[in-house]
This record gives sequence, structure tokens and C-alpha cells, in this order.
Amino acid sequence: MMKKNEIISCIKANKKITDYELTIQNKNSRELFYVLDHLEINRAVKTTTAKIEVYVADRKTVGSSSVTVTAADDVKSLASKLNKAVTKAKQARNAYYPLPEKTVNIRDKKGVKRDLNDIAGKVAKAVFKANVYKSGWINSTEIFVSEFTDEFISSKGISHCSDSFKIEIECIPTWSNKKEEFELYKFYESSKPDYRQITEEIDEILKLAKDRSNARTLKEVELPKDLKVLVKNDMLQVIVGTLSRDLTYRNVFMHQNHYSKKDEISGNPFDLTMKPVVPGCTASRRYDQNGIVLKSRKIVSKGKANAYYGDQRFGSYLQEENISGSLPVCEVKAEGIPYKKEKHLIIETFSSPQMEEDSGYWGGEVRLARYFDGKKYIPLTGFSISGNIYENMKDVQFSKEESTLRNYKGPKYFIFKNIKIS
Amino acid sequence: MLDQYLKSRIKDAERLVEKLQKHYDYVSVLGTCVRNKVILVSTHVNSIDDIDNECGFVIKVYKDGRYSEYSCNDIRDLKSSEVIRSVKLDQVFSKDFKVKMLEEQPHREDYLREDPARLSDGEITRELTEVKDAMHRKDERLINFAARYMKRETSKIFVSAKKRLTQKYDWINVMQLNVVREGDVIKSNYEAEGEADSALALQKFKKHAPEVLDIALRLLKAKPVKPGKYTIITDPSISGLIAHEAFGHGVEMDMFVKNRAKAVDYVGKYVASDLVNMYDGASSCLSAASYFFDDDGIEAHNTQIIKNGILQRGISDSLSAMELGTEPTGNGRRQDFSRKVYTRMTNTWFGPGKDKYEDMIKSVKHGYLLCQTNNGMEDPKNWQIQCTASYGLEIKDGRFTGEMIAPVVISGYVIDLLSSISMVSDQVTVHGSGMCGKGHKEWVYVSDGGPYLKAEAKLG
Repeated sequence: MMKKNEIISCIKANKKITDYELTIQNKNSRELFYVLDHLEINRAVKTTTAKIEVYVADRKTVGSSSVTVTAADDVKSLASKLNKAVTKAKQARNAYYPLPEKTVNIRDKKGVKRDLNDIAGKVAKAVFKANVYKSGWINSTEIFVSEFTDEFISSKGISHCSDSFKIEIECIPTWSNKKEEFELYKFYESSKPDYRQITEEIDEILKLAKDRSNARTLKEVELPKDLKVLVKNDMLQVIVGTLSRDLTYRNVFMHQNHYSKKDEISGNPFDLTMKPVVPGCTASRRYDQNGIVLKSRKIVSKGKANAYYGDQRFGSYLQEENISGSLPVCEVKAEGIPYKKEKHLIIETFSSPQMEEDSGYWGGEVRLARYFDGKKYIPLTGFSISGNIYENMKDVQFSKEESTLRNYKGPKYFIFKNIKIS
Repeated sequence: MLDQYLKSRIKDAERLVEKLQKHYDYVSVLGTCVRNKVILVSTHVNSIDDIDNECGFVIKVYKDGRYSEYSCNDIRDLKSSEVIRSVKLDQVFSKDFKVKMLEEQPHREDYLREDPARLSDGEITRELTEVKDAMHRKDERLINFAARYMKRETSKIFVSAKKRLTQKYDWINVMQLNVVREGDVIKSNYEAEGEADSALALQKFKKHAPEVLDIALRLLKAKPVKPGKYTIITDPSISGLIAHEAFGHGVEMDMFVKNRAKAVDYVGKYVASDLVNMYDGASSCLSAASYFFDDDGIEAHNTQIIKNGILQRGISDSLSAMELGTEPTGNGRRQDFSRKVYTRMTNTWFGPGKDKYEDMIKSVKHGYLLCQTNNGMEDPKNWQIQCTASYGLEIKDGRFTGEMIAPVVISGYVIDLLSSISMVSDQVTVHGSGMCGKGHKEWVYVSDGGPYLKAEAKLG
């Protein structure tokens, strides 16, 4: 693979290129794949990927084209690719927008030395420590332990570098009620090895699989009307993702926004802040794809749309003065309500959370829910819920408990009324 | 022709196999280069990119009953000791387990299937732009039109002690998305063409554009469906989605290995109405997942999964086949060279029946024609199914009423749905424009399709 300086020299040698952005990522990982408690295959990955965005601009228009640098490239072949990219950039013109200028360069390389094989082995031990039940077991597990080094260099003088570490576990727990076996799905992601937490998380999903094996259907359990429905995890990320996307420069510029500044989203006040880095959120990053050093922006304040955010191109098209950049993490702050004593339905897992962004239709087939009938929780399965997120948000409430997910931190549950259950 | 870089690495792969065979019982090298040309023409943004989507190698080794893999960018200067050191596990939690080694037959072959059209970037951009402008002239409620041409050129080499295979194949997708707005109501509609010939794909894109916009505009007035059980007619894309979710995922035999598929207990039994036949295979038709050999170096197959309603067999990659003692079916696929092989679907479709589409519509007392795949989710263990159609057209007493519902989620128990199929049309269409994940990751290109099907289903 060509060295960074060789690539930059190649770009600079092409005088038709007005600007460029170069991103390089090195990945080193170890992967373990288990069937039940035996290792089926192990893998090692050591790769480098490099991508150049070539810009050709005049006063009114700009065109860009992507070039990937592969192990196959040398100075001659890269020069040829860059020439072709210039031609393509000239053919695909867009309204002019300036690239971000250098503010501060991020140097976030910790240079931690890790034994990835050793960590992967410890993660496997932590997973199987939870595998202690007679009627329930871990059916299959995939473990990925990866470290990354990222670099971003642009013609505007921006030069960022950072490194990161990630543990990912995909786990399928199964529980047998002697007549039939039931499974659930668990994806765990963390930026630090917390082996005790891994064991606890796997234990929790095994217990939920047990609940699914004992779950009843709506034919057996009658639910009251106007029941409060609590959603969490994946669906919460989908909902918050839809609401925040509505307030991006891109959607506002293209008139694909349901909300504009000052519009009321909810009668129950909550704040939604887009952030670069939130501890525990693995989507965190300090700069975006154009190299903008990210700063938090509150886009919903007290339940009302407060500001827009997003990338350089569309921020520039909207003539925003202070372009935020593409912020990756969403933090919600709201006053939680007590809900535990009254009847409610917690949706634990969906088959696949659905969201149609145009209409706001959301819902899906529920694999496991827990209905609190005023005295005890009853596991339920085999039904669907649906609603319209723009309507449902008007009187949304929040739990006091909090959770931290890949790109979300905030109340563990959004609590909705008027949800269709069928 | 085969990517020149990969061609230049065949000798290196042969050398590496020879060296590593001193340490391992089996060694193979898979090299892949996938190049995408992407041309985007839209109301607000245009771009032309030539992206090397992936370019690299994976070395697979076998010793003492276990396979290991090493993925890297290049093999020219790769030392065999680096592979050995990286995949060596000193202490790792595992119960005793040994997989059988795949015995290969000698095979040397070069395969080629290229786009016959030689269209320049300028010609393609012009065609896309003409349609975009025509659609904007047609209706001012169209706020964003995006047309995306993508040509995927895939080159692969597979080298082991007994095999030396190369393949190069192209596939073209042209997608159009219409976003329309009336007051506060925003709706969108899309269509994607998939062909092995750029000229044909662009021709279909152009032909379908007015209808795609018309549906988007009709969606502005669409209503949600009243949840309940209905008679449905599925269009070929929804038939394909059902094939894919209901029995495609359910017969991926790595799921048999993990005892995660109910299908393993139903081989030789009725799982659908006797009108139902279902196939999967890279050579079963010419579509998005038509390759010549899979990522294990196994030749493409055409597997009949359901015959007259009876489940025949599953599909598998090599590792699953070795664990189950069966033959691999050429379904071993990776998202890219840095990822593991899984058993994956290719082109999955229901076979034709004898009914005429018009007779099927006439036979419905009250129900919906469900159109256009949105998304779906499988549950191979418990056979629950969830498929979303972009819209449905109401049928009453054998006629369309003009009412449209959107979106529509079909859910229920797989066997109930497939057993309720009472009519199957005589024409099959396979849509080659989709991608499929395994669980929630591992995306590969797939196609699916079938005839129109009449069935009973729960809609929500």
C-alpha cells in the first residue's frame, strides 16, 4: 500500500485538482465464531483503506469525485485515477460551497499496545460464564475485537488523527420450554473491555429468552385500552434518528423536513442535543467526514425545534454561519415520570423495528413484550404495534432510568399513548 | 476481462499455498476486486465516482479439525509466518470440536460475463438528466428526484492445491427515487432496475419513470390499513420478499448446524400449498447474485428448495456442509474479503403456476394487491415472518376501487401464509436490485422474485 506522503504528492502533482480530502484507516482485529460452546473458526484481519475526495471548483460551481487507493496502486496508476476523477468532477457540477478551513487539528492517538488474541479469549470466557442454565443456552456467538487508526488530511490544512478500540459481540440465546425452543438476538458493543458487564448482559438476554418461551399471546391476555407502551433500545435509536434527521440542513434545504425552528414537537418538554462524544457511545467521534471539529448543538429545547445541524455542503447552501458538522450522538434530557405502579407494556424486542420517515409510520412485529397488569409482569409475544411518530411524540413521556446505546444517551424508555396493538 | 491486479497475484497465491501447506492440511487463497461506477443525478446533488469497493485477499487454512482465516490487502510480500502467527490461538475457551476437511476435485477454469453496452459517463449522465427534467416538468409537487446508476464489476481468483479459478462478471442497477410534497405531507416512491446490460437497464428506467412518479403522487392520499386478515395478491417483488424471508433464510444450512432453523425437521414434509415451487442458486437465473463460483471456490448451483409444497433441501457453504456431512451448494458468500463466509441466498424465487393475473384479481371479494418491496425480517427458529410492502391497492368484488393503503406490514406464521396460497400466476419476474443482511449485518447483493400469488394474510 502506498504511503500517505506518496499519495499526497500524487494529488499535489495534479494541478487541475482545486481541493482534496484524504482519509486513511488501518484496522487490526481478531474474531472468534462459536457454535454452542465450541469454536468453529477464528479469523485475523489486517487491512488499510484509503479514500480521496477530489474537488474541482470555479467561482459558481464545484464538482467532486471519489478515488480509492488500493494495494494495486502505484504512483502511475494513482495519477491516472486522479486524472479520471478530475474529468468526472467536471462532468458532475453542483452549486458552489466552500470546504471547511482549519481550526484546530486533533491529535487523539493514544498508542495503546494491546494483545487482541488475549482480549478476545477473555471476552469469550466472560460470555460463557453466563451459560449456566439447564433449559437455556447460548446457541451461537461471534466476537470481534478491533483496533483502528484513522487519519484525515485536507488541502485546507486540516490534519486529524485518532485511534479507537471496539469490542462487538453478537449472541443468540435459546430457551426451551420442553415443547419448543425460543431464541432472541443480542448485539453488544463497547469501547472498553468490561468483562463483568459482558457476563451480566448475556445473562439478561438469556433470561429474556426464558420469558419468550413462557410468553402468552393476545388471545390469552386481554390488554386494557389506552395502555402506556414503553419502547427501548433499537426502536428508541430509530425514533430519535428520525426526529433528529428532520432537523438536518439537508432535509431542510430539500424541504423534506416535518419540523422547522420553533415548531412544537411535544407538549411534554424535553431537550435533544446532538453531540460529538458521549462516554459509552461507540458512534462518538470528534470530527466529521469533511474534517469539521464537532461541537454540541441543542436542536430541540423544551419540546420545540431549536436549531438545525449537519454537513458542510447543505449548511453552506442554507447560508448558515456556524455550521455544526455531522454530529453522531444524540443526548436526550427530560423529566422522568413514575410508571411502575400503573398498568403498562414494555416492548423488549422487535422482529425488526420499522420506520417510514415520510409518513412517520412506525412499529413492527413484537418478539417479546412484558405486560404489567398492576401486580406482575406477564411475557407476551406474537403481536404487532404501530403508530405515527409525529402524532405520538406530541404527548410522549419519559422514564427516570437512563440508558447509553451506540449513538444515544437518555431516558431508557419513551412512553407512548394511543399505540395500535393488533 | 479479469482485473489485472488480481491476475498479477495468481503466481503469488500459488507460492503462498505451497509454503503454508508445510504447516497446514489445507490452504486456499481468495482474491477479490470489486469496482463500482456510481453516477448520481438528482435535483440538488450530482456526482460521478469510480470506487474500488473492495480489493484484497483472504487466506483460509485447516489443521487439527479447525479452519482459520487471515484477511489482508496484498499477498505479494506476505510471509507465511505472519499468517501462522496471527491465526494461532494459544489459549481460547472452546469445548473439543473437530470439523471435517473439504476434499476438493482438480478444477482450473476462467469465467467471464461482461456488460455488452459501452456507454460513456456522459451518455449515462445525459439519459438520467433527461428523465429527471421530464419528471420535474410533469408535476411541481416533485421536490426531489434522484437517479442512481451503478455498475458493479466483480473479479475474483481462487487458488488452492487443486483449484485455480478466475471469474469476472458485471451487474448494473439503475434506481429512481421520487420525493413529493403537498402541504405537510411528504411521500416517496422508488424503483430499481437490475440487468446485466447497461443499455437495457437504462431503457427500463426510462420506461418506468412516469409510473413511479404517479405512484408517489397517489401515495399522498394513501391511508393506513385497518389491521386484520385479508385476501392478498402479491406482486412479483412481494412474492420474492416472502420467498426470501419465509424460506430463504430458513434453509440456510449454517442455521441447521446451530439448530437455529425449524426447517431441519421439515425436510420431506409439506410446508406450503402444493402449488408452490421454490428455487435458489447463482445459476438458477441471470440476476444480481449470478456468479460462477462462490467464495469457497464451489461452482454455482440451482437448488430446488420446495417442490409441489414439499421441502426438499437447504442451501449451504462448505463449512456447514462439512459439519452436516452434506455437499456444499455454492452458497458460501462474504460481504467482502475482510469478512467470514456464511451460507447466503443468491437468486431466490417462486416458480410459475398456471393462473392468469386477471383471473386472480377477479377472484378477490375484498382484499389488496400488495406492491413493491420495502423490507422484511426472518425468524428461522420460530417461523414468524414480517414483510413490508410499500403500498397496497384495494380490490372489491374483483375490481380495483382506486383506494391505496401505505405502508403495509404482512406478518404471521410462515406455514400458515404459504399453505394459504391458492392461485399462482404463469409469469415469473426476478428483481435484481436488493441487498440482504444476515441477522443485522453481513450485507450481500441478492435477487428475488416469482409470480403473482394469491394468499390469506394478516396485515397491519
